[in-house]
Amino acid sequence: MAGTQSPAGVLEELAEIPLKFAATLRSLQAAADVNYGYSEKDAVYREDKLTLYRYRPIAESAGLPPVLIVYALVNRPYMMDLQRDRSLIRRLLELGVDVYLIDWGYADGADRYTDLNDYINGYLHRCLDVVLRKHQIPSTTLLGVCQGGTFSLCYAALHPERVHNLVTMVTPVDFKTPDNLLSRWAQSIDVDALVAAHGVVPGDVLNAAYVSLLPFRLLQQKYVNLLDAGSDQAQMDNFMRMEKWIFDSPAQAGAAFAQFTRWFFQENRLLKGTLEIGGRKVDLKNISQPVLNIYGKQDHLVPPSASTALEALVGTMDYLALGLDVGHIGMYVSGRSQRELPKAITHWLTRRKS
Amino acid sequence: MASDSDATDDWAAAMQKAQADLLRQWSEIGQAAMRAGAAPATPPAAAATGAPAEALARQFMQQCEQYLGVSRSLWDLLTRAAAVVDPEQRARVFTEGVGTLQQQFAQLWAAGSLGTSGAAGLAGWPGAGVFGAGLPGMGGYPGVGGIPGMSGFPGMGGVFGAPALGPAREQQESFQRLAQLGMRCAQAQMQVGAQWNDIIGKALRELGERLGPRLRSGATPASMKEVYELWVDSAENVYAQAARAGAFVQAQAELTNATSLLRSAQRELLEEWSRQFDLPTRSELNSIHQQLRELKAALAGTRG
Repeated sequence: MAGTQSPAGVLEELAEIPLKFAATLRSLQAAADVNYGYSEKDAVYREDKLTLYRYRPIAESAGLPPVLIVYALVNRPYMMDLQRDRSLIRRLLELGVDVYLIDWGYADGADRYTDLNDYINGYLHRCLDVVLRKHQIPSTTLLGVCQGGTFSLCYAALHPERVHNLVTMVTPVDFKTPDNLLSRWAQSIDVDALVAAHGVVPGDVLNAAYVSLLPFRLLQQKYVNLLDAGSDQAQMDNFMRMEKWIFDSPAQAGAAFAQFTRWFFQENRLLKGTLEIGGRKVDLKNISQPVLNIYGKQDHLVPPSASTALEALVGTMDYLALGLDVGHIGMYVSGRSQRELPKAITHWLTRRKS
Repeated sequence: MASDSDATDDWAAAMQKAQADLLRQWSEIGQAAMRAGAAPATPPAAAATGAPAEALARQFMQQCEQYLGVSRSLWDLLTRAAAVVDPEQRARVFTEGVGTLQQQFAQLWAAGSLGTSGAAGLAGWPGAGVFGAGLPGMGGYPGVGGIPGMSGFPGMGGVFGAPALGPAREQQESFQRLAQLGMRCAQAQMQVGAQWNDIIGKALRELGERLGPRLRSGATPASMKEVYELWVDSAENVYAQAARAGAFVQAQAELTNATSLLRSAQRELLEEWSRQFDLPTRSELNSIHQQLRELKAALAGTRG
């Protein structure tokens, strides 16, 4: 680390920058129209902006109940299937799992009044109807991701008979842990005024909050570091896919956003047991089916403590918390996650097959 | 390490010339890329707006210029410090020197990474109405004086503080409210700016504390990039503490809340304008959406 300050060295470093810049710019432009979403899938149900997809099998069935992935509203679900070597969905398919995924689509001005009841007891419920009917089974596995995990918890508590197993991934449960900076900021926001001003809350608003968590790194350093990637086109393609995903943020339906911010972030109702959705109390003690709770030990968006609070709240005796040494994004795309997570999920499901 | 001042001056001058050349080349490269680029791109700011490749080039260039600006300032200071023979004195020159960079860095940060207008926070983030965003419409208050038939009301120009009376009473109140909210936003933005200024100052001091012992021992960072990375580490470390503090949280929230209220007030004024021309408004559309929701619910109820 310590070195010798060398004029010649600095001049050399400076002289390299234009070359690196030009090379990086070329690679970036070549990567600008990079594609994403790898595995083949079919739309099996549509409603309003929502599409329910079923992924085409690529391996012999493991004989497990199908897995319905419930993604968050705040980002696009193709992160689960970003590219061939970064796809949790593909790994699950390779292990013989039948995978469905809810794509919530892009909310627009018509969704100002769409609320959490619509999402949880409406759209999610009807997607599950489709899956259960197609397979002629009474219940199946929900895999909820981030905010989608919170939705899945609510759904499983409200309709436990329809959920065979519950897997939650990077899912916030306790929204007021001391290390949750996003929550700290949310406490003083007048969410009614925000929704009144925007109607549907633009994705840019949320992105501004997310990058504000680590502003020097996320707004500056990560782009400067591109200079070192230079002409490595594969690396630049990966970067661009991530960049596309990070900022491809749907607007948030006004009523649902206001409810989620107030009920979860500001009032922590899920933890306190005071949450009601559609006039019914969400009691996590109703969740008596097996629960696998996966969290990132380095997650700065959903700190581990926000996820692991679940253990004390659910009614099941079959609860397993699985912490991976990754961050929030790393949970979807890191090499470690790709290697370990699909196997862990499949193994866990297989042991509960009976 | 440079040991005499002549040598230091020589290479510092050469470095500055190289940097000037470098910036010129960047500019030319960037312009060429903008002329040539036609493919869609998704840089951070451009992604949301679907801007073309030229935005990508511009964004990337801004980040690199920011990097160079930060690195150059720190490296200049390191160079001055390194010319001092006494290790204690050397460390002190650097530690005291970083304090003088606060204003420059705060401006760089605001102008480079965060976009516009010198205000700290996320000024200029496209479309963001919160977290220090660009206060939509603050420049010129859309509607004020721009609404046909409104600017002609007698005495409208100087009555923001006067009681609203007469045929233009409602409009005057709207303008007064806009003006009050505009001032509230400006004050909130200043508070956020002050918070950021403080963060930058503390981050520089932390950088000084990190590098001071190394300078005392005669070891210096080997490259500008390393100095830059130390700066980012220091800044994030300080920010992580500051962003949790009540003053920062309140300043950000006040800016967000004031911006939301201003935006709603602006829309009310625009809707008033639209009604004068019998144009549809958002409020009317919302009313229709409400009715549709009720109809759908009623329909679902009849189906059981």
